[in-house]
Amino acid sequence: MHRFFVQRNHTYSSCDGRALISVWALVFWLGMGALAQSGAPPANATATFRTRATHLLGLGNTKSNCEGSLSIQDNELRFQRDGKPGTEIKITSVRHVFLDEENMQVGGIPMTLGKAAAPYGAGRVVSSFAHKNYDILTLEYVDSDGGVHSAIFQLSKGQGDLVRNELVARGVPSSSDTDQDTKQRTAEVTDENM
Amino acid sequence: MRTCRWNSWMIAVAVSATVVAAPGRLPGQTSAATSFGTKNAPPMRWSVQVERVDPGDLDLAYSFHAAIYENLIGELNKSKQFVSVLRDGDHHATNARDLLVLKTTVENYTPGSETRRAVTTVSGATKLTVRSQLFTSDGKVVFERNVSGNVRFFGSNLRSTQILARNIAKALKQSSWSGPEQSGAMLAGQP
Repeated sequence: MHRFFVQRNHTYSSCDGRALISVWALVFWLGMGALAQSGAPPANATATFRTRATHLLGLGNTKSNCEGSLSIQDNELRFQRDGKPGTEIKITSVRHVFLDEENMQVGGIPMTLGKAAAPYGAGRVVSSFAHKNYDILTLEYVDSDGGVHSAIFQLSKGQGDLVRNELVARGVPSSSDTDQDTKQRTAEVTDENM
Repeated sequence: MRTCRWNSWMIAVAVSATVVAAPGRLPGQTSAATSFGTKNAPPMRWSVQVERVDPGDLDLAYSFHAAIYENLIGELNKSKQFVSVLRDGDHHATNARDLLVLKTTVENYTPGSETRRAVTTVSGATKLTVRSQLFTSDGKVVFERNVSGNVRFFGSNLRSTQILARNIAKALKQSSWSGPEQSGAMLAGQP
């Protein structure tokens, strides 16, 4: 009786161990899956994306060539100068996003004046080093009357790609998509003509 | 006697200083100039719709098209030649009575480099030439001109678009179509 009881107890503990191992394996597997998902780019539309940018042109009620922060939250792209009210564009109204690259001199007008004043052509030597590549992000959007607007932003190299990817993830067609559409349309027209 | 002479000198100096400092602010002159300008200026009745820039066959960065378009709208608004300046696709254009359409096609583009300009001064200029055409609603061309915008010394490459837009607005203002004779002669067929 006692032996039987002990044996049964032993059998129970063996089953528990297996169950524990399988539960642990399941939890580990699920955890790895969750970790892998968190490493992927954010897919939810409510996450805020923010970067520094210079507004070159195009946004209403915003000065040209002014620095500020460019953010994407919910369904809006917002440019805000430090301590000033921001300007918003509804992402649904953005029709295209384009990305170019531009090499520019750094330092602005003060640097230009300093280089011009430097003796023995030292300013030219400084100019040959004082340049940097920037991303130029161009958005084409429509207002409530259907009028087409364009806004141009200058961002540090690499940031433009991130903003474009964020917008594309929210359904804005990028320049490469547009090129493909144009090519398709051209091909269709050519086929029709033939 | 001496005090009286001193006072007259002071008055003369004060009057001459006022005339030199603000020559156009005499009341009589102001009203005359204003009425003359108003009588001779052509009555504004035209609205203009600015179409998006056509790059033609050139490989022009999209930021340049966009900058030309936006700068053009800004400069035309600033020049006050038109009753209203409408954007491409604006629904109000369908109801506008006297509407002109401004088309801009890029003819020539020489990409420059801001760094080369800064280092060498003589090379690296950004040159942009466009054909600017103003159409009536029935497709008649009332203005056509090639206009350029170049950056040779200071500023970024995109500054050429600002210079170009200013030159287009200036060309439109100086052209004969905006004068009273032209608006009667060339646009006679307009409703």
